[in-house]
Amino acid sequence: MAAIELQGLVKRYGKTQVVHGIDLTIEDGEFVVFVGPSGCGKSTTLRMIAGLEEIDGGTISIGGRAVNRLEPKERNIAMVFQNYAIYPHMSVAENIGFGLYTAKLDKAEKRRRVEETGRILGLEALLERKPSALSGGQRQRVAIGRAMVRDPAAFLFDEPLSNLDAQLRAQMRLEIKRLHQRLGRTIVFVTHDQVEAMTLADRIVVMRDGRILQVGAPMELYEKPADVFTARFIGSPTMNILPARATTAAGATTLALGEQPLALPTAMGTVPADLLVGVRPQQLRVLANGEASDLVLSGKAAVIEPLGSETFVHVEHGGGLILASAPAKAPPAVGEIVRLGAPASALTLFDAASERAL
Amino acid sequence: MNASSSRVDAQSGARLSSGLSMRQKQVLWAWSFLAVPVLFYAVVRFYPTLEAFWIATTNWNLLTKPSFIGLANFKRLMADPVFWQVFRNTALYLLLGTPISLLLAFTIAYHLDRVRFLHGFIRALYFLPFLTTAAAMAWVWRWFYQPVPIGLFNNLLAGLGIAQQPFLRSTTQSLPAVLAPAIWAGLGFQVVIFMAGLRAIPTTYYEAARIDGVSNGTILRRITLPLLKPTIVFLVVFSSIGFLRIFDQVYNMTSQTSSDPGGPLNATKPLVLMIYQTAFSSFDMGYAAAQTVVLFLVLLAVSLLQLRLLRDR
Repeated sequence: MAAIELQGLVKRYGKTQVVHGIDLTIEDGEFVVFVGPSGCGKSTTLRMIAGLEEIDGGTISIGGRAVNRLEPKERNIAMVFQNYAIYPHMSVAENIGFGLYTAKLDKAEKRRRVEETGRILGLEALLERKPSALSGGQRQRVAIGRAMVRDPAAFLFDEPLSNLDAQLRAQMRLEIKRLHQRLGRTIVFVTHDQVEAMTLADRIVVMRDGRILQVGAPMELYEKPADVFTARFIGSPTMNILPARATTAAGATTLALGEQPLALPTAMGTVPADLLVGVRPQQLRVLANGEASDLVLSGKAAVIEPLGSETFVHVEHGGGLILASAPAKAPPAVGEIVRLGAPASALTLFDAASERAL
Repeated sequence: MNASSSRVDAQSGARLSSGLSMRQKQVLWAWSFLAVPVLFYAVVRFYPTLEAFWIATTNWNLLTKPSFIGLANFKRLMADPVFWQVFRNTALYLLLGTPISLLLAFTIAYHLDRVRFLHGFIRALYFLPFLTTAAAMAWVWRWFYQPVPIGLFNNLLAGLGIAQQPFLRSTTQSLPAVLAPAIWAGLGFQVVIFMAGLRAIPTTYYEAARIDGVSNGTILRRITLPLLKPTIVFLVVFSSIGFLRIFDQVYNMTSQTSSDPGGPLNATKPLVLMIYQTAFSSFDMGYAAAQTVVLFLVLLAVSLLQLRLLRDR
């Protein structure tokens, strides 16, 4: 059992409060990703769970045991750092074995565990090498190995893939996910990369300015973002946000946006007059001649970005650029006036004042 | 005529510079910048050094012309009991001074690194002796070592009911008594260098070790010291050279009105002081040069040995 529970967690540096009373329960065996821009308090929260930062308020319990005052080693967790923190003067085997330094095991057992870990991570041939002779991905695996070898109740990852190039990052992402499926341990993973968050997490915790904005499964966050920030942060490319006015006449609410008024479902009830309408580029398509849609916008195609499987088109609209998708093989030409369309079901409405979803 | 020739010069100059490859131009620039210090060192350092090797094989006494006497100076040195006493003293300065000063400096740096309160002030206090003139410090320490009722240490001992110590007047206590201020003076520098070395170790190494539950002693032994090795190598070599060349403290603390410094009975005399006395009291330049050659060889051997031992392991 290694559920991690945060209750009213607070962190201050001097007079600045950086974490404002976080409440969160991480289930045993769950893969939870903290995501947010830099300075949002995600790393600080992770370090408080690890015991590397003092807690200024609230409680943290791991496996039902309050750990606020416990030293990191007493919390039975392992952590993987952004810069790997593997010791340059020790071999790979010594680095992995360092996690067992205090374990009450005989030498042969320690050696067996180090070799077993090396085998799982594909480091068998490298055990006697020094870290300087390893590639970035291999170093990252050594760091994970040192965490694994102790068989901890939970793993904490602090932006572990940020120092790797894009290709290696995708590969390590896959390896970490498979490792989680194999070991079934609780993992708390911090990143600023929403792709990592989406691909790895059972649940994503979106943080901003020391507060949790939304917690949910990746698809839940993608489809039902709680506010404009989450909507724009999750999903790539970023969601288009367009200002619009709602008018209510004879019980029916219509949205004045684009070429034709858009009727809102009556189930939404009363809505504020000033709205923000979010639509993802993948769902805002370039329309063929004469094709109809619920929402129709038009503008001049400014930039074409072919990606192979599809093509994104930046379209001038309302003094800014909006992003839409076009078929990969039949993109519009730059300068052409295009019509863009999205179904009503693809729109997310936000209150313009509070930026919360409706 | 004049104008046309200067134009030709300018043309040939342009042709010359354009005729050089990028690499050649870089080399030319590099050497033109290097030329000044290279010349300076050649004239002021290397030439006198080579000259000293030559003088070591002569009987020059400043007045007569030096005449070649082969290795006679070195034979005389090997047979000179004062030289062997001085050699032993110099070795003691090195063998006591380097480990004691480094151990002290590391202990202070290691703990000062964790202190936030008044950190800068405390560091400045440790560094202060390094800025002070050695002669002035030596005379203050000399006062410390005086008998009651003048000397600080003997007053303290007397206050505790412990017998008076002769310190600088004893053949056994004088060498450590001279060494103490020398260690103290260099401490600030070593502390600052050690702290810089400690700061250069990424904090995540310590955090990872804390999460692994490793004790402070193990962290020190297995992580801090190995990662500090370049700093340690530098300080060992640097301070060894310093202790092998010790002079100021000895000269200022052991000079008596009646006799030459280095006493009592040559008990504190280091090699540099012997060279100084041979050259500038006895004006035996050939013999002094021979001693200098020996000092040079000792310094070279000790430095090379330390670099090898500390680098390879």
